[in-house]
Amino acid sequence: MKILIVDDEKNILKLYKAELEDEGYTVVTANSGAEAISIYEQENPDLITLDIMMPEMDGIQVLRQIKQKRPDIPIIMLTAYDYRDDFSVWVSDAYVVKSSDLSPLKATIKQILDKKA
Amino acid sequence: MIDVSITLSPIKNSAGIIIGVSRIARDITEKKRVEKELVRKNIQMQRLFFISSAMRGTLELDRVLRMVLTVVTVSDGLGFNRAMLFLVDENAGVIKGAMGVGPASHEEAWEIWSKLSHEQRSLEAILDDVQAGPLRKDSFMDRLCCGVEIAIDSDTILTRAVKEKRAFNVWDARGDPQSDTVLIQQLGTMAYAAVPLIARDKVIGVLWVDNLYSQKQITEHDMEFLQGFTDQIASAIENARLFEQVMRAEQELENIFESISDLVFFVDRDFTIRKVNKAVVDKIGLPESSIIGQRCFWIFHGLNMPWQHCPHMKTVETKAALVGEIEDPHLGGTYLISSSPIFEKAGELLGTVHIARDISELKQLREKMVSVERMAALGEMAAKVAHEIRNPLLSIGGFAGRLQKRLEGGQKEQARIIVDEVQRLEAILNGILGFVRTAHIEKKPVMLSDLVHDALFFMEPQVLERRNKIRLDMHGEIRLLANYDRLKEALLNLLANANQSSDGGEIVVRVYRTPALAAAVGADSAEHYDAVVEVEDFGTGIRPEDIGRIFDPFFTTRPVGTGLGLSITKRIIEEHEGTISVQSSPGRGAHFVVHLPIKEGEA
Repeated sequence: MKILIVDDEKNILKLYKAELEDEGYTVVTANSGAEAISIYEQENPDLITLDIMMPEMDGIQVLRQIKQKRPDIPIIMLTAYDYRDDFSVWVSDAYVVKSSDLSPLKATIKQILDKKA
Repeated sequence: MIDVSITLSPIKNSAGIIIGVSRIARDITEKKRVEKELVRKNIQMQRLFFISSAMRGTLELDRVLRMVLTVVTVSDGLGFNRAMLFLVDENAGVIKGAMGVGPASHEEAWEIWSKLSHEQRSLEAILDDVQAGPLRKDSFMDRLCCGVEIAIDSDTILTRAVKEKRAFNVWDARGDPQSDTVLIQQLGTMAYAAVPLIARDKVIGVLWVDNLYSQKQITEHDMEFLQGFTDQIASAIENARLFEQVMRAEQELENIFESISDLVFFVDRDFTIRKVNKAVVDKIGLPESSIIGQRCFWIFHGLNMPWQHCPHMKTVETKAALVGEIEDPHLGGTYLISSSPIFEKAGELLGTVHIARDISELKQLREKMVSVERMAALGEMAAKVAHEIRNPLLSIGGFAGRLQKRLEGGQKEQARIIVDEVQRLEAILNGILGFVRTAHIEKKPVMLSDLVHDALFFMEPQVLERRNKIRLDMHGEIRLLANYDRLKEALLNLLANANQSSDGGEIVVRVYRTPALAAAVGADSAEHYDAVVEVEDFGTGIRPEDIGRIFDPFFTTRPVGTGLGLSITKRIIEEHEGTISVQSSPGRGAHFVVHLPIKEGEA
């Protein structure tokens, strides 16, 4: 299973990549929204995690562009803030509040991929 | 017969004895005639002078008309038996009877005449009565006259008098083909005169007179006098009419002035209030008479000297209009005021006109908004800070966690401490931001009927705009645990979808309770119930190839819209552990069915 991680912080990409590879996933990363848009089709991931707060193209814009073309790819939004009242986040498949405790993220990924399989 | 002067002189002889009488007879016809003419002219002039000054003193149109007719008919005046006034209505192209005076019959005529001769009242006294006394407009002549309306186009004596600007003296009314037959019959007149009333070269009406009862012939002298008199009448009537117009315009202005809900008032240079409207009276709570003439700083600000922020003072100083917002502690509240200088013709400043609008409420609202904006900005800031701190914390904690797994003994313990402390910091961060980690939305008992009515009410304008109709078919009260706002949002999305698909059509909303869908609750479905909300339209419908995608985010078949509505709706329904399904075919409309489980103990 291949996961595309999108975040503007390199250290976080590193951490997530290491942790998710430990779980047995293939992980590709994108350091910006624009990069994510340019590689997701070619990489064809089974799941995408998207940081909402990114400079220039934010997570919501990326979500919209990808969902328009590929509604079949599940997307998990990662937030540093409570976005529950923002309806545009609702169309993602799940959202997880960023935390150094990665277990909720891992559990959500597993749940979505299990359902998809 | 001629007028002669006879001079008889005694003829005496030288002794002084009268011996005869000499008689000289002179024909003085001419002299007498001139003398009579002089006296008549003198009387005429006196009357004209008196009448015109009396009429000039009156500006009420009806009174002027009555005065004119009185002068024409009283014996001390022109002495006609009956008189009527017709006024030209240019817009309608007619002349209209305005007023008439005169006895209705011979009997009445004698009665009036004997009474008048008995009372010996002067023209002066009679005119005083007309000027001050009550106006009655119900006599026979009045009623008759006011019913008359003759097209100016038609060829009658009255209209010719208007068109040709000349007087007519008709001696044989019955034999004259141009006399208005109806009028002649009703009036029973034998002979009459019609004289145009000309003011500033324009014919404004016609004066009609006759001598039915006395049978006195209307002479050239009468005509002359009438014509001399009509110029005065015309200008008096014109004045009265103009005055009435001005009065009406003034009344309209006054009404507008009074009905303005803003405070409007005029203050002269000495800070004295000269005019206020009703809004001022209401605001100050004093009668108008107690406000007018008072100093504005006392009335409006409760001060004994001009207010330091006085807009009037500034306007007087700069002679320029001033607009501003003023916080008035005395009246209480915030006012949007405009103060404009008023100049007299010579350019001298008379004072200022103020318009003040109470904008206290608006200001409160504005302040509230500013504070909301400030809060929002603060929230944004907090989010930014949270993001900035959270990411490094996440890296520290996350990598420490990885180390903790790989290290042994004391070092593992040290890594654990880092992990714990980072998590403590994250918890503090969440606490500050008011985070609740649970992704579940808050649900409360909701009356489904309230929610449905609320959503329908909200949609009404849009539905009306597309000439659609909503039929609500609701059975019973259903209470369920839900998040009111989100469920309403979901229903609104379905309604908006149906509304946009239809044009002048019907949208049916059904709300009812049904045994729960077996799949959702397992075997014991008999004990569980679902609330069902159906939204059905008969509009454009959905193509079969699209039906599988309509709940996908960003999928839309419409040129406008985000394509998020139905996917958000589905997500909301799922949050409530419900289901949504759709049946549709193109051109037949769409039928959405939402099932929401009613859990035990909630119903």
